[in-house]
Amino acid sequence: MEQSASFFSFLLDNLTQFLSFTGFSNFTVGHGIMIVVGLIFIYLAIAKEFEPMLLVPIGFGIIVGNIPFTPGYQIGVYESGSVLNYLYFGVLKGIYPPLIFLGIGAMTDFSALISNPKLMLIGAAAQFGIFGAYMLALLLGFSPQEAGAIGIIGGADGPTAIFLSSKLAPELMGAIAISAYSYMALVPVIQPPVMKLLTTQKERLIRMKPPRQVSKLEKIMFPIIGMLLTTFIVPSGLPLLGMLFFGNLLKESTVTKRLADTAKGPMIDIVTILIGLTVGASTQATTFLTPKSVGIFALGAASFVVATFTGVMFVKFLNLFLKEGNKINPLIGNAGVSAVPDSARVSQVVGLEYDKTNHLLMHAMGPNVAGVIGSAVAAGILLSFLA
Amino acid sequence: MKRLILATVLVVLGFVSVNAQSVYDLRINEVMLTNKTNYIDSYGERSAWIEIVNTGYNSVNVAGCFLTNDISNPMKYRIPSADPITLIPQQQYLVFFADGKSVHGTLHLNFTLDSINRFVALIAPDGSTLIDSVTLPAIGIDKSFVRLPNGKGEWRISELATPNSTNELFETHVSTGERFVKFDPFGVIMAIIAMSVVFTALLVLYRLFKLTARLVQKPIRIEFRKSKVAKAEAVEEVAEEVPGEVFAAISAALYFYETEKHDHESTVLTIERVSRRYSPWSSKLYGLQQTPNRIIVHRKLN
Repeated sequence: MEQSASFFSFLLDNLTQFLSFTGFSNFTVGHGIMIVVGLIFIYLAIAKEFEPMLLVPIGFGIIVGNIPFTPGYQIGVYESGSVLNYLYFGVLKGIYPPLIFLGIGAMTDFSALISNPKLMLIGAAAQFGIFGAYMLALLLGFSPQEAGAIGIIGGADGPTAIFLSSKLAPELMGAIAISAYSYMALVPVIQPPVMKLLTTQKERLIRMKPPRQVSKLEKIMFPIIGMLLTTFIVPSGLPLLGMLFFGNLLKESTVTKRLADTAKGPMIDIVTILIGLTVGASTQATTFLTPKSVGIFALGAASFVVATFTGVMFVKFLNLFLKEGNKINPLIGNAGVSAVPDSARVSQVVGLEYDKTNHLLMHAMGPNVAGVIGSAVAAGILLSFLA
Repeated sequence: MKRLILATVLVVLGFVSVNAQSVYDLRINEVMLTNKTNYIDSYGERSAWIEIVNTGYNSVNVAGCFLTNDISNPMKYRIPSADPITLIPQQQYLVFFADGKSVHGTLHLNFTLDSINRFVALIAPDGSTLIDSVTLPAIGIDKSFVRLPNGKGEWRISELATPNSTNELFETHVSTGERFVKFDPFGVIMAIIAMSVVFTALLVLYRLFKLTARLVQKPIRIEFRKSKVAKAEAVEEVAEEVPGEVFAAISAALYFYETEKHDHESTVLTIERVSRRYSPWSSKLYGLQQTPNRIIVHRKLN
């Protein structure tokens, strides 16, 4: 009798312990909120096709990162020794973003930019979104490093945002990455109203000269000169810019096709999976759900609006100095943010709304890829001033 | 022209040598003259000491350099080169004891420092180039003369000596960003500077590629013009030479093409390798001895 009583108490103890380990026992409202956020991301990616390549891994990562558990068993992304922690290492130390830039470089065709280099200036103008958000963040009381990391959301470049925040404000990296990717997915929603508000009917109908044929020599020279020039000016942008231009050289040299194919194919896919999943998992409710995260989301939206505003307005300003026939359609100004090729696609879609035969995509790709270079340069500057 | 190239190379080399990670990254960082209760050497003795810091981001070997307390004798103590202890890692420190007992080891100098000998200099391995020097004021017992921040700041007397460690130990660390924001609380200067740099970078790139486009297109244009002239000449020649049968053949071909009477070749000659991944000749499966399958027949028992 006594034996059976002790057996039952033993069973009860173990059962209680097991129950205390379950997700149900450790569940908090925060976990619930974040799981819902993850589900929304997955829904947006699958049903609405908003950046599915990014939002599916991130959304699922958010769910993975918010499964409640008892700390100490090397499960969570923040627990040293856990598998997720090892994978997260690549994010924390800024390893994945340059690898993604290598793939982007191997994918990107800079022809539009080379054929009409003045479009580079639009890519530069749109970077004001970064510094607009930086100023707002300082006003809201964020530390200089945090403000710099938040500001980079305005560059609309996920890998750059992750890279810079891992160096300046690692504790905010999850919120910054999620914010950057969310707004990049929402580019087709955020940008058109601003573009329409700032342009007249006449401006929207401007037809641009078709881009000229670019020679192979020019395409090969671009990454070499671009790399030398930009990294000599901003050496702290070397990991991003070096990899971007290296990837592009692999593509344009045409003699390293296999390497370029690997960079833009399997390698970028693997890194995208790892970065998406681990960044998503880093949004563990206990560390993520803070008033700071809310502030970051608000500033992220503002930075996108400012970037679109300055991009469009800069084209209008540039048009004051250009002859009739050489004018630039201000609807490509939004493409200065480096969300490739989404923002260029927005220029095309909005342009077609007003003239069914006016295709702006190729022209918009110019400032769009210039935006990638511009945001990496801006990240380098922030790093050298604030680190 | 040769002189110009030589001068450029020399300037570049000079620039590189000045900026390379080298003994020129070393600085005198902290000095104590009268040591009563402070740092003890491995012999259990207290003496004046000199701390050298490597301000660079590579390890630097201080071996071969000279330390002296007399500027007229810059090669007073040559730091031995056989001792691995002289390799100072990046942003790290090495303490030398000015006890006049160089027989005690590499870190023990053959001169002393006291209230009279208050000058210290670090000389490059060439024996004449001064890397760094300091003349100490009369500081009290167990007080040190330190640089804040490490290796590059102003010298000051410190109550708390920090041998083999940062001088900023008791200072509140102010980051570069915080220092910057002190001068630029609203981020306006940052925005102006950064946007100027971004614009400059992309503007230079724009100008370069405009120039490149012109340079690249020029030879093409010339070639194009040349080829136009050549073509015109060739056309003239052809006009003279082409016999009537050729026109007849071309006309016939065009006629057959239009009326689709031309037969299609069924085979195409190619030098591309035909990929055949599987062949029974190279299959290991066929090379192996097959294990006979046992057939079990179940008979129905009545």
